[in-house]
Amino acid sequence: MLLLPILLALRVAEGDGDLVLRLQRRDPQALAELYDRYGRLVFSLILRVVRDAGIAEDLVQETFLRVWNRVQGFEAGKGSIGPWLLAVARNRAIDYLRSAGGRERNAMDLEETVHPALASDMEQSLLNRDQIRRVKAAMDKLSPNQRQAIELAYFEGLSQSEMAERMGQPLGTVKTWVRTALRSLRDELGTAVPA
Amino acid sequence: MNCPEFRDHYELFALGLADEPERSEIRAHLNRGCEVCTAEMRKAMELTAFVGATAAPAAPSPKLRRRILASAGYEQRQFGWTIFAAATAVLACFAAVYFSGRENQYALESAGLREQIRRQTIDLTRLNEAFAILSGPDTTVTSFGAGRTAPPKGKVFLNARQGVLLIASNLPPAPNGKIYEMWVIPKSGKPAPAGLFQSQSDGTAMHIEHGPVDMAATGAVAVTLENQGGAPQPTSTPLIVAPLER
Repeated sequence: MLLLPILLALRVAEGDGDLVLRLQRRDPQALAELYDRYGRLVFSLILRVVRDAGIAEDLVQETFLRVWNRVQGFEAGKGSIGPWLLAVARNRAIDYLRSAGGRERNAMDLEETVHPALASDMEQSLLNRDQIRRVKAAMDKLSPNQRQAIELAYFEGLSQSEMAERMGQPLGTVKTWVRTALRSLRDELGTAVPA
Repeated sequence: MNCPEFRDHYELFALGLADEPERSEIRAHLNRGCEVCTAEMRKAMELTAFVGATAAPAAPSPKLRRRILASAGYEQRQFGWTIFAAATAVLACFAAVYFSGRENQYALESAGLREQIRRQTIDLTRLNEAFAILSGPDTTVTSFGAGRTAPPKGKVFLNARQGVLLIASNLPPAPNGKIYEMWVIPKSGKPAPAGLFQSQSDGTAMHIEHGPVDMAATGAVAVTLENQGGAPQPTSTPLIVAPLER
């Protein structure tokens, strides 16, 4: 039983490159495996953003299809598909939130943050519960304002100006919270995040 | 801006919070393929990905997987294959039952054909024997039943080497438990049994007693109705009596 997590981790690590190649060869079974590996994580993320299970499922479907249709641009040797998938999922969910709320897109097009070339090799970490617990612990160490700022940015896609307006705080204060929070997370997780 | 100056902007860029002009400069810098900044940007992407992974775990409905695969054209194919496999299985079962029935039918038909061939072989042998008697140069012919109201009619052919041939009509099939028996009656002495036979439903009959016949000693050929299995001597009045004509 002790070997099970190790075997699972090895399976994820070994299967990732092959999985991408199979996706690029349009192997539908590879899409099924990608969903089996990341479906819950993607759904959880999108549900956290849109807070509606039905809409979340529609967006999960869009996310996987988007990856399925764009995987040709992914270089398997330069990163893992998991982080890219999460970035696409976040982008789709925030786009929905903006359009549903009548908000304009953020000044920065989120699309450029989900470029496949920027995906890193962190599949095992994303799927590792202990690692996720460490991230949550690091988030808990932030002050409430800092944590709210990070969550508004990540889960709602608000710009710093929008956050300032939402939180009723000066823009400079919000910018400070954001920078401090990011530095703190980087310090806390620096050893945990694979280089 | 140079690489060190970008350092504080990577996470902001990854979160979508980078302001102009830093945002455009970072994008242009990454597009130029700076390996150092690309690596740093990946770390920033990892950090933001971890934030996303802190969302409370939730499970989508089981149908979602099927929906996604179907929209990619996979589950539909699989469904098609399922139907194809099911149809194949049904067809295979049907074929097994059908061909099993056909096999039984063929076996019965084969047995019937074998029986038919056997009978035809017997008939052919009998016809050959009959033809040998009929074509024999020394064969004698005797008619019977002529001039009677509804008697069996026909002819008896005798050949010294081939035997006796009886051809009859108007001889109704023998009743249950009964059979016709032919007799070769010598001019003196007891009748000799010359075989059992049954007539056809149309009243015709052909019977051959193969073997040499003492033409000079034979006085007549007769037919009686006997119990199944025959009798060593006639037990009833002859239905047919054909005296040999010399």
